[in-house]
Amino acid sequence: MASPDAAPTEPERWRDLDMLLARPGNLVEASFEPSPTVSRRRLTLLRRVISGLRDLLGSVVEVLVVGAGGLGCELLKDLALSGFKNLHVIDMDTIDVSNLNRQFLFRAQDVGKSKAEVAAKRVMERVSGVNIVPHFCRIEDKEIEFYSQFHIIVLGLDSIEARSYINSVACGFLEYDSNDEPIPETVKPMVDGGTEGFKGHARVIIPGKTPCFECIIWLFPPQVKFPLCTLAETPRTAAHCIEYAHLIKWDEVHPGKPFDADDAEHMQWIYSEALKRAELFGISGVTYSFTQGVVKNIIPAIASTNAIISAACALEAFKLISGCSKSVSNYLTYNGLDGTHIKVTEFVRDKDCLVCGPGTLIELDTSSTLSEFIKLLEEHPKLRMSKASVTHEGNNLYMQSPEVLEEMTRPNLSIPMFELLKCVPYTTVHATGMAENNGKKVSSLRKLRVAFKGVEETSKMDTTEAS
Amino acid sequence: MINLFKIKGQKKEEAASAAGKAPVKKQSAGELRLHKDISELNLPKTTSISFPNGKDDLMNFEIIIRPDEGYYMGGTFVFTFQVSPSYPHEPPKVKCKTKVYHPNIDLEGNVCLNILREDWKPVLNINTVIYGLNLLFTQPNDEDPLNHEAAVVLRDNPKMFEANVKRAMAGGYVGQHYFPRCA
Amino acid sequence: MAAAGVVVEPKTKYDRQLRIWGDQGQAALEKASICLLNCGPTGTEALKNLVLGGIGSVTVVDGSKVEASDLGNNFLLDEGCLGQSRAKCICLFLQELNDAVKAKFVEESPATLIDTNPSFFSQFTIVIATQLQESSLLKLDDICRKADIVLVAARSYGLTGMVRVSVKEHCVTESKPDHFLDDLRLHNPWAELKQFAKSIDICDKDPVVHKHTPYIVILVRLAEKWADAHDGHLPSTRQEKREFKDLIRAHMLNIDEENYKEAVESSYKVSVAPGISDEIRQIIDDNSTEVSPSSSDFWILVAALKEFVANEGNGELPLEGTIPDMTSLTDYYVSLQKIYQAKAESDCLAMEHRVKDILKRIGRDPDSISRAYIKTFCKNARKLRVCRYRSIQEEFTSPILSEVQKYFTDEDYSYAINFYILLRAVDRLAANYNRLPGIFDSEIDEDIPRLKTVAASVLSDMGLNGAPLSEDLITEMCRFGGAEIHTVAAFIGGVASQEVIKLVTKQFCAVARNIYIQRNRPQISSFGIIT
Repeated sequence: MASPDAAPTEPERWRDLDMLLARPGNLVEASFEPSPTVSRRRLTLLRRVISGLRDLLGSVVEVLVVGAGGLGCELLKDLALSGFKNLHVIDMDTIDVSNLNRQFLFRAQDVGKSKAEVAAKRVMERVSGVNIVPHFCRIEDKEIEFYSQFHIIVLGLDSIEARSYINSVACGFLEYDSNDEPIPETVKPMVDGGTEGFKGHARVIIPGKTPCFECIIWLFPPQVKFPLCTLAETPRTAAHCIEYAHLIKWDEVHPGKPFDADDAEHMQWIYSEALKRAELFGISGVTYSFTQGVVKNIIPAIASTNAIISAACALEAFKLISGCSKSVSNYLTYNGLDGTHIKVTEFVRDKDCLVCGPGTLIELDTSSTLSEFIKLLEEHPKLRMSKASVTHEGNNLYMQSPEVLEEMTRPNLSIPMFELLKCVPYTTVHATGMAENNGKKVSSLRKLRVAFKGVEETSKMDTTEAS
Repeated sequence: MINLFKIKGQKKEEAASAAGKAPVKKQSAGELRLHKDISELNLPKTTSISFPNGKDDLMNFEIIIRPDEGYYMGGTFVFTFQVSPSYPHEPPKVKCKTKVYHPNIDLEGNVCLNILREDWKPVLNINTVIYGLNLLFTQPNDEDPLNHEAAVVLRDNPKMFEANVKRAMAGGYVGQHYFPRCA
Repeated sequence: MAAAGVVVEPKTKYDRQLRIWGDQGQAALEKASICLLNCGPTGTEALKNLVLGGIGSVTVVDGSKVEASDLGNNFLLDEGCLGQSRAKCICLFLQELNDAVKAKFVEESPATLIDTNPSFFSQFTIVIATQLQESSLLKLDDICRKADIVLVAARSYGLTGMVRVSVKEHCVTESKPDHFLDDLRLHNPWAELKQFAKSIDICDKDPVVHKHTPYIVILVRLAEKWADAHDGHLPSTRQEKREFKDLIRAHMLNIDEENYKEAVESSYKVSVAPGISDEIRQIIDDNSTEVSPSSSDFWILVAALKEFVANEGNGELPLEGTIPDMTSLTDYYVSLQKIYQAKAESDCLAMEHRVKDILKRIGRDPDSISRAYIKTFCKNARKLRVCRYRSIQEEFTSPILSEVQKYFTDEDYSYAINFYILLRAVDRLAANYNRLPGIFDSEIDEDIPRLKTVAASVLSDMGLNGAPLSEDLITEMCRFGGAEIHTVAAFIGGVASQEVIKLVTKQFCAVARNIYIQRNRPQISSFGIIT
């Protein structure tokens, strides 16, 4: 046993974790190499001294946690106690009083400070040896390259938009070989969690292997939107009165002044307008708290559910990286409303997914022009796409329609693709047009992997030199 | 799943190769879908489109409708479209930039069109919305009003409604509200 | 920005949870006192979640000193705690999380406390027992049952774990199910509703009025019309239901009238069976409705409910009194709301009279049950739940074999039942060998066959000779070596704290059955042994 004044050795401290990391098992991933990889007899002698796998988790693996809120705080703690030592956390938000009922790394005196910075500091104070780099900014503010340093990305988010963004970034690193098989080194796995009240989900996204966020985006039902004419003419509920004040009345009374849901005065104004309207129509139920709920679309959140879902996510991250047990395949739902129900559903990938799918490989000469490329799509046996419009990383190379865009993009037609695609040897473009599907021509959007013949080596050298 | 020992070897090279790559703008699934919608636009002859931020920003554009029949014939009405990265999960945000005397469009430019709110579905597209906007001008509807006064006039006195629309489009007052010329 | 030492408004701080369980739920939490046995990560995490939410008081019982291995799986302990009382250190940190909570500790081994001071537990609302071995757990369950204290037992073990709730009876007033049919009484409208429906011309020529006539009115009127043409019967067969929908459609002026679409979609509500559900029938027929001075408020209300159904209710429960949003003119909708509210209030008033009569009859103060509670009870009368849990002893000695056998053969549950057996087997093995299997690397190879033998004896004691235990899982249990992995502990502790919240607030439903097990692969599922 450690004496109070001597710092414990790592094997002493990680005794429990090492049971999983240093011992072989029958239900582990094929890649699992319990460390040190020596015979069982020698392992017995050595385990207390070294644990190679745990050392690797701590020294080599870089983990990104997206979000430092209800899930993020728990995730940082859980990952730090799973042997990961190099963590980053990104969150643009500051701490609010209403976070304190569940975001356990924050105290009343932290209100107004950066969530990422406070959370990182607190976890580092308590778990020695862990390094957490906070990023107090929007996820879109980071260069794409920032994300490439991580071996796994764990998401603790509450918006579809942010999930979709990170998903497209992570899937963007994925490359396929000529047999349309994902290249293992380019796979950047994600673990995504979400909660609402007593319910939540945790899922594992291995781009190219399990469905990505876009493959099954239909799982998220669109938000209910009231018809504007109901709000204006036949309000019936408190929510109608609030949305009237929020969506119609605000602009009418404050032309040119954008509404800010985080401004207490603005919220108070919406509340009092909604109340007036409710009284006018004899509608009950407008309260300040309900007004906030409707306007900000507040999702109820409690500590226990966040803890459960984060733990499930962190455990999946730990299993994915170490291989010490098999991963959930691939979508776990938790429901504690009536008893405790945990269910795992195995969703399937959308093979034609624009974000994670392989798309179609097209090899080009560096001299091929955009118009030759478009002709090639028409002749390509897998595509047979006519009237293609082409876009590349936000640049619209050619648009068949509408006229204004066709005119603007027409000059590109005679330019070589290699030049239009910034002289990279390999990249992804998207094309829309009429393509063949089950023998019929239908309007389609396709992902195309463009590779230029014979440029790989030289171009790599060029870019290295340029840097 | 991940080969840690392989990662270990890779680590040193990483910095070098990462530095060489040009920063890439990420295209959301919503942007791609919008690209498809736009490249397949089939605009009615009353309608034109413009992209104030140039060819590479499809997420913000304007639709100009010049109705060729009905009460609003001869007017020019501009709508701004803002499309979010979650499109088509989320409908586009559409506002009427031209101040118009219309039962289903209020003076702030809010538009009461079911497919823009409660009836939006991801299978719908920009074409459908443009078609819906055109319909508003050929068939203004007094049953789902956003401009209550205009709706009452349309229902009770279509002749007067017609005159009001003409006056508004020519630039003038209807009741207490001034409408800049849009004809 | 807030300065140090700022006072935060509890309403604002607890906003996100008040939206779930309301002020009443919060008040119940703030009154509750929780005892935690063993503050390893499983117990600590459970308590952390409760303290954040503002539980009244917590008492941590643990006799151990902080060791190096605690720093690898318990976030609330750091280097400075080494060698100190684990209970004390945990308590200090918990207090830091929320100063509104009273945090105390007892530095004693839970097993000793159970043996020497059983009356200690009677001061608590709930006892959370974590990482407790079978023999102590059985004794504790007995103590808690005698004192009517709720016991929540949680165990994390390697990559598996379990949460079990034990209490004689848990009555839920606000079960708040996710989906529940609204209480519109379209099959049996009362006079005021019928009268209101009659006052509206559903064939109004004004298109605005026609497309804004609420579907409740349309359905009440058309159901009456249907009944008139069918000897007073409402549509019941599939064919009749289809014809009824056609009748509704025939009244549309044009195809995009939302209110008529809603009427067609809701037309089945006309055909719901009158009277009360089997679940509620079972509750009002329960022996506990023969009330005595020692009866709980819940059962007194159920007794009153039984009388209500037999008298004023005419076979129906008190009306819930709310209606969903539907396409309608504001006036029509607000009038309908008032009609439903008025009926609910008069039903509630009748209930209140009956409650007072019953209280008088059993010699209690007739005003001792608040009007607010009676109202909540009436609003939720269709969703009442009574959970009775068998004792852990009973679960062990007389298992329901057919269920257990089913789990063994069902692919979805076979891992769970294996772990259930194996978690019992490791405790039995520990009782024999004074240590859990797989603790020492050098003995794993010997422990695997030992555990297999002990597991077989657990099965045969249950009367399940030869049930197929998974060799892989036996090996896995030995590999776990009793490890408490932080993430698994946070998961299990999280589930335990969620159960505590439901049990304390008497909202939602706690695990109805005795057991829940997490499987580590390839899927995780819940699992229960019927009580």
